[in-house]
Amino acid sequence: MTAIAQEKEKQTLQQWLKAHGSAIASLGGLVFCIIFFTIGTGIKGESIWSASKLSTLICDVIVTALMAVGAVFIYSLGNMDVSIGRQVGLYSTLLVLIGNATGSLLLGILACIVIAVIIGIINGAAGELLHMYSVISSVVFMMVISGITTIIYSNVGSKNIILSGIDLSFFRSPLNMVIVLVIEYLIIGYFFYFTKFGKYARAIGANQRAAAQSGVNIIKYRVIPYIFLAFCLVTASLFQMGYTGAASDATGTGFEMNVMVSLILGGMPLKGGMKSRLSCAVIGALTFSLLAVGLPIIGVPTRMTFMIKALIFLVVVLITCRQKTGPLPR
Amino acid sequence: MCFSEENSVILYMVSQATVFQYRFAPGDSLKSEMVQMEKEIIFEAKHMRKEFGPTIALKDVDFTLRRGEIRGLVGENGSGKSTIMSIASGMQPATKGEMFYKGQPWKPATMVEAQDAGISMILQEANTIPGVTVAQNIFAGHEADFSRFGVINMVKMKRAAQKVLESFGIGHIKAGDLIDRYTFEDRKLVELVRCVTDRTEILVVDETTTALSLEGREILYKLIHKMADQGKGIVFVSHDMDEILEQCTDLTVLRDGDIIGHLNRSEMDAPDAVKTIRYMMVGREIGDKYYREDYDTSHGDEVALELQDVSLGRIRNFNLKLHKGEIIGMGGLSGCGMHDIGRIAYGLEKLEGGRVIRNGKEIKTPLAAINSGIGYISKNRDTEALILNGPIQDNIVLPSIPALENKTFISPSSEKRLSDREIDNYRIKCHGGRQYVNTLSGGNKQKVSFGKWTAKGSEVIIMDCPTRGVDIGVKQAMYALIEEMKKEGKAILMISEELSELIGMSDRLIIMKDFEVTHQVERRPDLKQTDLIEYMI
Repeated sequence: MTAIAQEKEKQTLQQWLKAHGSAIASLGGLVFCIIFFTIGTGIKGESIWSASKLSTLICDVIVTALMAVGAVFIYSLGNMDVSIGRQVGLYSTLLVLIGNATGSLLLGILACIVIAVIIGIINGAAGELLHMYSVISSVVFMMVISGITTIIYSNVGSKNIILSGIDLSFFRSPLNMVIVLVIEYLIIGYFFYFTKFGKYARAIGANQRAAAQSGVNIIKYRVIPYIFLAFCLVTASLFQMGYTGAASDATGTGFEMNVMVSLILGGMPLKGGMKSRLSCAVIGALTFSLLAVGLPIIGVPTRMTFMIKALIFLVVVLITCRQKTGPLPR
Repeated sequence: MCFSEENSVILYMVSQATVFQYRFAPGDSLKSEMVQMEKEIIFEAKHMRKEFGPTIALKDVDFTLRRGEIRGLVGENGSGKSTIMSIASGMQPATKGEMFYKGQPWKPATMVEAQDAGISMILQEANTIPGVTVAQNIFAGHEADFSRFGVINMVKMKRAAQKVLESFGIGHIKAGDLIDRYTFEDRKLVELVRCVTDRTEILVVDETTTALSLEGREILYKLIHKMADQGKGIVFVSHDMDEILEQCTDLTVLRDGDIIGHLNRSEMDAPDAVKTIRYMMVGREIGDKYYREDYDTSHGDEVALELQDVSLGRIRNFNLKLHKGEIIGMGGLSGCGMHDIGRIAYGLEKLEGGRVIRNGKEIKTPLAAINSGIGYISKNRDTEALILNGPIQDNIVLPSIPALENKTFISPSSEKRLSDREIDNYRIKCHGGRQYVNTLSGGNKQKVSFGKWTAKGSEVIIMDCPTRGVDIGVKQAMYALIEEMKKEGKAILMISEELSELIGMSDRLIIMKDFEVTHQVERRPDLKQTDLIEYMI
């Protein structure tokens, strides 16, 4: 190979690395965690890949991943929804209450979908119609839903309610969890990559004015991603409630932060736009759960795991979310 | 602008005529000193090479700039003309090669470093800081000059900024105002004020004039000649051949990352200079045909787009009928309201009165406009027409997505096919549809925004400054395309600040001044720019 050809190949590789830096960093983070915890937990004599730990890992991943897959749509718009956790808490509660009253989950699921879609439509449209950041409307919903949940539990007279008389074994099977996550990923992936819903969402996130001038109905295509998220949140709530068979006034607390951290760990650009990828949701959720499950096994005290997670989060943010340089004039 | 009408007409005439002599005749007392200074090389690049991944922007370029020179740089889009000076001004590093500034090795790390050392560059794109005042923009990075104990004396800064603005002849811009209040043209002038200081030794003007109004251009021209007379070096990058020939003392022609040749003033004055330069730029005979050669103004009877008694702001009861197969040109100074008419016709503005009608239906939104077969090329390419941080393919297919849809599915191969077709049609310099638009040169970006609507097959196209920042080869291709569109029965509303292209392409020309139509004229062979200027100013 000539020197010029070698130089050329080096340049092409550098260019490829530059273009895929974010994806490589997030995937690299996951691979590092897998290798690190495989060795680390092996040394401690309690492998993270043992049946019981793997089951714990999957259960830990599943709810976050189910939510994050839907949230990719919202983040691709350049938006953020902080009511996610409280919504999951409310839907879990409703599933238990309606399930106990009717002896079936079906009515509860339908009720949750209707509520989630209404919240999604308001969340999606409010920002554009009221000319404010859409995260503001989600903050309002977070507070309103917290209030509703508090009222429900004070009326019930307990901070914890248990679902009885319904077989929840489906929601406790790790295999089923993985299958549902794969199905959700494929469905959302289809809409995100191969339909106008995803293409318009990314275009709006990248440049709303250019998207509008290209014929994109901004309000409509800002609302639709929230409807996709609504279905994903109800699915996540089913597994959240189904795994424990119960709900409490604390269910869902902090989930919105788990989703945000997972997406960023997965390499999702916070500004949204054309570089948004669905894989960020799963990669990020897996990395996040590996840290949650793996760190205590290798002997890190629980109080320290937050610090380590924060440190890793910071490193990933520095690598993936930095502002890239502007146009290159020629 | 504080120009009288008479002065403005004279200024315009001066800019159109080849009366460069007065500009290149420094005073006798300075003459011997200037001759000496003109010999001195102020900047030199040797074996400069720049690569963007697989794209080679500059191959092995040697470039010299001497004191007192106004050196024009011309070349097709992507030829590398902006790249040379962007490297010299610290915007990006060269892949290989060395530079010398005032005889010393030169390798600036940032634009601020270069500017502090005396090399300033005014860019094609908007480069002001939004959300702060004009004064803060002018003194960005030099706040310390107005600070005491860490507190900036804003009154002092405002006063100093206003003084500078007055000295540049743009006192109508108020230093205390938010920059966002001003038009793109005025923001460009603020940028000019910010870039040029007493320390400036080399000023690079990178396709800036396309973003300036007529008065703004005159201010810039005066400034560069004054600087050249003071023995400073000017690099003037432009696609406007008339402007280059009028303003520059020397010319360098680039093609595909190589310097093809240099011309001195006497060579630029040769009768066939334009033809020679074009040949050097494109590498082939592009022929004499540039604009339309026919004077047939016939068109279809069917009205393709109608504006009925439209009122918005200072535009009152504006009427326009655009027929199938007709090209209507709209000209005037940049703030005359013609650009607003384009936005109104596309449904971008909420009207105070009147209607925009297409096929019997009222157009109130861009979506309604697109659905009825209207396309719009915005004047504000980077902020409205394109998703810069997105691939070329996604930009081109965006308006065509509903047409590509099968049930809900959009096939990636059909997207690629459509995008590749437009990339080929316009010869967009890229290494594929997945390349991001923000890595393209200005002209290639404009080709992408054009390609969006030809891909969509729009029947009515509203073009607001369609050839802004586009080189002659592409311009010629675009004019041919516009002519072809007319033959196909498409209706075109062409809004432009370039009278020559309006005269060259339009069936009917509408001139606006102060938001009113002041003149309408049919296409005819003897129509000259001078016949129209009095209605503009």
